[in-house]
Amino acid sequence: MLAAILEQSSLFLQQLVNGITLGSIYALIAVGYTMVYGVIQLINFAHGEIYMMGAFLSFSLLSGFFGFGLPFGLAVVLSVLACALAGVLLDIVAYRPLRRAPRLAALITAIGMSIFLQNLALLIWGGQIQAFPQNSIPVFFSEPALLLGDVVISWLQVVILSTAIFLMLALHLIVHYTRIGRAMRAISQDKTAAALMGVNVDRVVSYTFAIGSGLGGVAGILVGLYYNAVYPTMGYFAGIKAFAAAVLGGIGSIPGAILGGGILGLAEVFGGGYISSSYSNGIAYAVMILVILVKPTGLFGRHQRDKA
Amino acid sequence: MKRLLMLLAAGFFLTSFFSVSLIQAETIKIPVASPFTGPLASFGEGVKNGALLKAEEINAGGGINGQQIEIVLGDELCDPKEAAAVATRFASDPKVAIVVGHLCSSATLAALPIYKEAGLAAITPASTNPEIGKSSPYYFRNVYKDDFQGDFLARYAKKVRNFKKIAIFYEVNDYAMGLKDAFVRQAKKLGLQVIGAEAYMSETIDFKASLSKFKMMRPDAIFIPGYAPQATLLISQARSLGIKCAFFGADGLDDEIMLKNPAADGLFVTTPFLVDRGGVMVKDFVERYRQKFAIEPNWFAANTYDAVGLAVAAIAAAGLDREKVRAYLAGISSEEKAYQGITGATYFDENGDCLKAAFVKVVKNGQWVSAEEQLQ
Repeated sequence: MLAAILEQSSLFLQQLVNGITLGSIYALIAVGYTMVYGVIQLINFAHGEIYMMGAFLSFSLLSGFFGFGLPFGLAVVLSVLACALAGVLLDIVAYRPLRRAPRLAALITAIGMSIFLQNLALLIWGGQIQAFPQNSIPVFFSEPALLLGDVVISWLQVVILSTAIFLMLALHLIVHYTRIGRAMRAISQDKTAAALMGVNVDRVVSYTFAIGSGLGGVAGILVGLYYNAVYPTMGYFAGIKAFAAAVLGGIGSIPGAILGGGILGLAEVFGGGYISSSYSNGIAYAVMILVILVKPTGLFGRHQRDKA
Repeated sequence: MKRLLMLLAAGFFLTSFFSVSLIQAETIKIPVASPFTGPLASFGEGVKNGALLKAEEINAGGGINGQQIEIVLGDELCDPKEAAAVATRFASDPKVAIVVGHLCSSATLAALPIYKEAGLAAITPASTNPEIGKSSPYYFRNVYKDDFQGDFLARYAKKVRNFKKIAIFYEVNDYAMGLKDAFVRQAKKLGLQVIGAEAYMSETIDFKASLSKFKMMRPDAIFIPGYAPQATLLISQARSLGIKCAFFGADGLDDEIMLKNPAADGLFVTTPFLVDRGGVMVKDFVERYRQKFAIEPNWFAANTYDAVGLAVAAIAAAGLDREKVRAYLAGISSEEKAYQGITGATYFDENGDCLKAAFVKVVKNGQWVSAEEQLQ
């Protein structure tokens, strides 16, 4: 009897750890969607592809795909910077010319950029699943950080969670306590008024894309390491999940995106673990639909939202 | 200009075709259909090499009753439309009494009604879809069926590995679900306990929720009817959760990427042919194959080698009469009458499906090696 209870509680704990890890990854991607939406009311469907690029760039720099290999830390930093730059370029090339066009035009362009980037990756890296070379990533990642009976928490899970928490805190500080953060909040409240007050809207939007895309890139690298799999369509499914997380939390709200990501990750893991893996996605989306039905603007929706 | 080149090429092709048939008017044609170009050309290469090696051996030994044989290659790119066109070409040639092919199940299924209509027997060395044998009395198969693999793996797991509790992860598609169902059916008969079966999609990358659940149930092994890209992720995640049980699968996991994954060490899969198993015949085949093509023979080559052998035996016994050739093959219906080849004894059931052994190979230090114990 006692053994059965112990076993059940350790299963619960293990699923909780799995769910929180997955949720923190979703949250990192969701923040990118929600920041851009908060500032220019655009759903950036190419965000998932930036995340995929992050995974592929770090893979390439580590495996010597471009003809040279780099140490782990340097490769990660360079990949994240490249993702931030890619996000800014994406905005300048594809979205800025359409800033005054109907919102539908920008949305279609975003979908087009998503398809373009996915096929670009297919052309460069090929369609098969690739794995990080074993000797290029720190050894301790795959070692258990905590062994509690049957519960295993790997160092990589610890790294993912602490990276996510650290970045979210940093983001909070940027949005609330810096000039650029204040400018972002101003634009999200009223673009025209902010411009009249001397805020350089284009520059602030570029910063928003840089930060959001950088976070997406970090998520891509973490996921690539966590599953040890990198492939061109990885951004598509993750992007949809993260978009759902952003909507669940109330699109435009950063705390909402974090909470939404967490809820979705936990719903998916517990649905898969306790009901059936065939339904794990279904259960995650059902939770989202239920929340939207009760509160159409999402958990931290429009009225009390802290737009950024 | 382009058209001129095409015409020239077509001209050359036709003249070479005619000159061959003019010079060697007395040869017996044995058509072999497979993808020889296109994305699956690497599979077809084994088919081609196996057929050529067998033909060379037959001709060196005096051919069929003094007549030399000639392998006629039909390239169908694994495309059902091309396969139908190639099949029509073979079926309308009155000198063709039997066809060896096709490789992909979808190509075989497209060619099947054409051979049936023409009353022309065919032997596929590689198509594993269960429907093929049932659909035509003219189709024979020198490879096991998908459901056989599931059945075999259950027997192997129970009798050789002595597993007691098995957990299953299956992909949602015809191939994998057929395998899973056959496995579960046989497991039930043998008293092998299946403690759970979880489904996944081809886009699934996170298996940790279900794996954590299975971990508590402590299975002896996890069976993965599916394909290699998802299986390699699944196995890595299982190891990172501290799951130490064995993993196994069918030919869908027989892929290079398994060799690159250190977590997959010990994984075993079914295969129709093993280089280091079998007697003098196999050793001789492997040696000559290496000598001629400078590569290792794979199971496509071995199965085609035997399929061509069967075709030659049929023509030797029944001549070039299509009906008699079919009747001869259908008559190979028991172990005593079996054709003895390098892939074991081949004989057919009432559907023309062969009942033959599968082998097991294991990932060891980044290489496929034969499992020490095979199921007899």
